[in-house]
Amino acid sequence: MIDTNAIVLLFTATIALASPLLFAALGELISERAGILNINLEAMMLGGAFCGVWAASATTSLFAGFVGAGLAGVIIAAVHGVLCIVLRAEQVVSGVALNILVLGTTTYGAGAVFGSNIGRSVDTLVAWPIPFLSDLPLIGPVLFDQTVATYIAFLLVPLVWWGINRTVAGLALQATGEQPAAAISMGINVRLSRWIALLTCGALAGIGGGQLTLAGLGTFTPNVTAGRGFIALAAVVFGRWTPSGAMVAILLFTLIESLQVRAQILGIKLPYQVLVMAPYLATIIALALFMKRMKAPRGLGINV
Amino acid sequence: MTLAPTSLRSLALVLAFAVAGLMTLLEASAFLAAAGIDPLEAFHNMYVAALGSKFAIGTSLAKTVPRLLCALGIALAIRGGLWNIGAEGQIYLGAAGAAGAAMFTPDITGIHGPVVGLIAGFLVGALWGAIPGALRAYRGINEVITSLLLVYVAIQIVNYLVEGPWLVPNSTFPATAVLPPSDRLSRIWPGTLLNSGFLIALAMTLVAHVLLYKTEFGLWIRSIGGNERASHVMGLPVGLMLVAVMALSGGFAGLAGAIEVLGTRGRLVEGFSPGYGFEAIAIALLGRLHPFGIACAALIFGALDAGSGGLQVSSAGMSSAISPIVEGLAVINLLASLRLIEISLKHYDARKALGDRQRSDRPPTLKEA
Repeated sequence: MIDTNAIVLLFTATIALASPLLFAALGELISERAGILNINLEAMMLGGAFCGVWAASATTSLFAGFVGAGLAGVIIAAVHGVLCIVLRAEQVVSGVALNILVLGTTTYGAGAVFGSNIGRSVDTLVAWPIPFLSDLPLIGPVLFDQTVATYIAFLLVPLVWWGINRTVAGLALQATGEQPAAAISMGINVRLSRWIALLTCGALAGIGGGQLTLAGLGTFTPNVTAGRGFIALAAVVFGRWTPSGAMVAILLFTLIESLQVRAQILGIKLPYQVLVMAPYLATIIALALFMKRMKAPRGLGINV
Repeated sequence: MTLAPTSLRSLALVLAFAVAGLMTLLEASAFLAAAGIDPLEAFHNMYVAALGSKFAIGTSLAKTVPRLLCALGIALAIRGGLWNIGAEGQIYLGAAGAAGAAMFTPDITGIHGPVVGLIAGFLVGALWGAIPGALRAYRGINEVITSLLLVYVAIQIVNYLVEGPWLVPNSTFPATAVLPPSDRLSRIWPGTLLNSGFLIALAMTLVAHVLLYKTEFGLWIRSIGGNERASHVMGLPVGLMLVAVMALSGGFAGLAGAIEVLGTRGRLVEGFSPGYGFEAIAIALLGRLHPFGIACAALIFGALDAGSGGLQVSSAGMSSAISPIVEGLAVINLLASLRLIEISLKHYDARKALGDRQRSDRPPTLKEA
C-alpha cells in the first residue's frame, strides 16, 4: 500500500521537472512550425543554464538570472539564424556544431566562473503557493504550490496555441513552415517570420535551461542538461507539433523520470536504465505506429 | 551547378577552407587570451602533445580512428540523402556487440578472435542503423529525429549491460572484465598506443572510396541522394537502398566501437565515447563528404584531441574544453565561408549570364530577369 503523501510528492516532482522541458519544447514547436529545426535546442538550454547562474550570481537577482538565461538562448539562436536563414546552410550541421561548441564553452566556463565552489552559487527560486487553491487536498500541493516559472510554463501552453492558430502572425508562421514558396507569393516575409520564431525559441529554451539551475540546483555543473534538449525535441514530435500534445508528452516523460528516482521506494523492479530510455523509446514507437497522423511541417529543415 | 570554370571553383573552395581555418585560429586565440592563457604557449603545448614525439604521433593517430570510421559512415549516408545523427549510439552498440562476441566465444582464438569481434561490432551497428533507415523508407519518418533518439536508447542498453549482467563480480566500476589478449587487436608501432585498428580504418577509407565511386551500388547511393524520386522512376529499389545505406553507415560506426573495445581499451567501459559520433558529423562535412578529405579532417581532430592533453599541466580547466570549442568554431566558420563562396559564385553566374545576353542582343527571358 502506497500512502497518498508519496503520490503527491511524485506528481509534484513530475510537474516541477516538466516546466524547463515545456519552455524548450514550446520554443522548438514555434520554430519548427516556421520551418527551422533546432538540433541545437540542447545548446540553448545548456547556455541558458550556465548564463542564468552566472548572471544571477553576478547581480544577486534571480530575475536578472532568467534574463541572462534567455539572452544566452537568443544569442545561440542568432548564430543558428545567420547560418541557416541568412546563409542558408544546412540546419542539421549548424545545430550539431553549436551543440559541440556550447558544451565546450560552458564546460570551461563552469571551472573558470564558479571554480571550486561546488555547493550552491545562487539562491534558488522558491515555491509560490497560490492562496486558497494550494490548500485543496491532493491537487493543491501538486498544481498550486510550484514556482512562478512553472506557472508561466504551463500558462504558455494555451497562449502558444492561441498565438499559432488564432492570430494573423501565427497563420503566417504556419504558412512559412508548411509551404515557404507559397507563403512568399502571398507576400509573407518568410525570412522575418523565421527569424522571429527562431529567436523566440532561443529565449524560451534559454529560460528553460535557466530554470534547471535557478529553480533547482542553484549551481552549474558541466553538461547539466544531460540530453534534456533532445527530450524536448522528442516531445514536439511525440505531441504532433501541437502545444497540448507536447505538454502531455513531457508530463508522461517526467512522470517516468520521477518514478525512476522513487523506483525503489515504490517497489518497481525494472532496471533503472529502462526508465531512463523510456521517453526516447516511447517517441520512436509512437512514431512508428501512428506516423500517418503525425505530420511534420512540410517545409521543416528546408531553407528558403 | 555553376557556370564558373573549374579552376575558379577549386580556387574558391581552397579559399573557403583557408579563411575558415584562419578565422578558427583567431577565434580560438581570442578565447584563450580572454581566459588568461597565452595562446602561443598553449598552441606550443598542444603541438608537443600531438606531434612532438613518436608517442604523441601514435596517440594522435589512435584518436583519429573512431572519428574517421564514424565520419565515413555518416558521409555515405549523407551521399544517399540521409542524415545519420545516431552514430554515437551505433558506436556504443557496436562496442557491446564486439565485447559480447569476445566474451561468449572463448574457444575462438588466434587471428579469428578479433575478427569475430569486429564482424559482430559491424553487424550490431548496422542493425541499429537500419532501424531509422527502415522507418524512413517504409513509414516516411524523418531519420534525423529517430536516429538521434536511438542514441540514448543505445547508451542505456550498454549502461545496463556493464552495470548488470556483464559487470565483473564484486566490482563497482561499470565495465566488463578485460578481454583475453587473443581476442584483442595487437599494437602495431612499438613505443606507442597505436593498434591495428588504425590499419582497419585506413582500409575502410579505401573501401568507402571504391564503394562510392567505382561500384554500381555507389552510383545508386549518389543517385538517390541527388534525387530520390527520379531514382525511383528509374527503377532503383529506393526503399531497400535507404535501409542498406543507413545499415552500412551504422556498420562503420559499429566497427569504430568494436575497435575501441578490442583495441584501445581492451574491454567495454560505460561512457567510453566522448561524443565521437556527433563530432563525426562535423568531420564528414569538413571532409566535404569525400573519403580522403574525411581522413584528413579526422587526422586534424585526432591530433587536436591528443594535443588538448598538453594543456593539462599549464591550464587544466581548458584541457577538456578546447577540443570541442575549436571543433565547433571550425564547423561554423567553414559552413559560413562555404555558403558565402557558393553565393558569390551564383552572383558570378548571374553576371556572366547577363553579359552573354547583352552580347546576343536578345530580350531577357523571364527566368533570367
